[in-house]
Amino acid sequence: MPPVVISVEQLTKYFGRTVGIEQISFDVRKGEIFGFLGLNGAGKTTTIRLLLDLLRPTNGRAVIFGLAVLKHSYEIRRRCGYLPGNFTGYGHMTGSDFLSLAADIRGTVPPLQHGLLNRFEISEDTLMQKIKHLSHGTRQKLGIIQAFFHKPELIILDEPTIGLDPLMQEKFYALLRDSKKEGCTIFFSSHNLAEVEKVCERVAIIRDGELVALETLDGLKQKRYRRLFISLRERVDHLELPGAELLKHKDLDYEFLVKGDMNDLIRRLSHLPLENVIFPEPDLEEVFMAYYRSERHE
Amino acid sequence: MNSLAYPLFILKNHRGFALFSVVVIAALQYLIIELMTTLNTDAFINTIFSQLPERFRLLVSENFIARMSAEGAAAFGFNHPIVLALLVINAINIPTRHIAGEIESGTMEWLLAHPMKRMRILGSLWISGGFLIFLIICGAWTGSFLALAATHHYTYETFVKMLQIGTNLWLLSVLVLSFSILISAFGKEGSRVGMRCAAVILIFYFLHFLGTLWKFLEAIKPFNIFTYYQPQKLMFDERSFWLHLCVLSVLIGLCLIISVKQFQRRDIPG
Repeated sequence: MPPVVISVEQLTKYFGRTVGIEQISFDVRKGEIFGFLGLNGAGKTTTIRLLLDLLRPTNGRAVIFGLAVLKHSYEIRRRCGYLPGNFTGYGHMTGSDFLSLAADIRGTVPPLQHGLLNRFEISEDTLMQKIKHLSHGTRQKLGIIQAFFHKPELIILDEPTIGLDPLMQEKFYALLRDSKKEGCTIFFSSHNLAEVEKVCERVAIIRDGELVALETLDGLKQKRYRRLFISLRERVDHLELPGAELLKHKDLDYEFLVKGDMNDLIRRLSHLPLENVIFPEPDLEEVFMAYYRSERHE
Repeated sequence: MNSLAYPLFILKNHRGFALFSVVVIAALQYLIIELMTTLNTDAFINTIFSQLPERFRLLVSENFIARMSAEGAAAFGFNHPIVLALLVINAINIPTRHIAGEIESGTMEWLLAHPMKRMRILGSLWISGGFLIFLIICGAWTGSFLALAATHHYTYETFVKMLQIGTNLWLLSVLVLSFSILISAFGKEGSRVGMRCAAVILIFYFLHFLGTLWKFLEAIKPFNIFTYYQPQKLMFDERSFWLHLCVLSVLIGLCLIISVKQFQRRDIPG
């Protein structure tokens, strides 16, 4: 089994009385692409900032490359690449100067810079423009390039595809896969299920600062949270289905979230005056949303 | 990592205004000395001076009139409000823009995700800021020495005194820089932090100014940073340069120690 690169134990951060994250634990192994999922404000960025020693934890610990983040953050950051959420860069600098600054601060000649500029189609002319004059997507591409260009062992990305067009998103996913092949570990946060589904092997779902799921992608899909749409020919009082939660109801149309055993459900359905049944394939979005819905029902 | 990358980045960002300040201050110094030594100003200024209200005479004599020599003019130039304002703007702008300003814009988060110790960020700011302030004071020295040489008032004693006054001014400006670093280490909005620093320095300046008018304000003079920068009194041996140096150095050290402690332990929000 590959060695653990990131190990987080009971990590907790309070901002005054407000909970940032609470007792989060997970491991990320070498060469893994790990997705960190959650809605806005769930605690994804807080977790990332704790991993990089930008925030100091209230409790718990994070260990990266076997080194405690609090004590050895300098060494850890030397071996990491990072793309912050809402990356802006220094607006008054040109793209070229900005990349030079990033390389100079690291004290390296970035081996991948030229290839990445070609991959993301950034021309010399674009590089000579001030960052404040670049589009959001181009700025984001510069951010991605500086996170990867020194060939780090671990790359931490906070919502990396925001602002990228679909073509560039595909190029970015290809970059992730190529980096993984070269042994790079990638930790990235997102609220976009589709992209996580495309590239990640394991995901953690965070909700209101708490980790609610830590699964392989296949494991998550096997939870088989599926929607079920039925239309009845006539009214049925207090319609309840085993292993299914009623989401919406209008006249004779019902929408359920199915979590339990299919056999009981089908048996019950066979006794109903059905007009129509739609039972689509399960998708990850449904699983993800189910974690959020369950909180609201609690 | 390249230890010069960040200080050079700061120097590049602030070189424009610093060079402007060098030119303005050098020219101002030259003009003040040239003007005061080539005109026979004694007669008409004494006439005007004798007609001024007593309190105004007190204020003006403190600054200028009582010392109408070339040395007095050179020392006055180092205390001119334009000179002080340009130095204070430079000293406040550098840390507030690079600490509080970058925390506000999110670039501090990017920077600190690199192999860059927080201590190094503060150290780079202090060294770069101190260097730019030194350059500006070099401008003042150049203007003064050129004017003194041109008007045949240059002596070794004046040279030494001017070096002391310049060093004193550098220490005062670096204290403002260190104080701005301290306030920035606690704050997270660049513009607000800059305003706060400027307000505190302005209050000190006005209290010092009012202290020359009203005796009852004398009790607070030892607690005012401008008490430890009085170039005309230094020029005429009425104040101890070493006392100024010690007090300002201790204050700079205190500001830096508290800044480092606070910046090391604080969270860097996005």
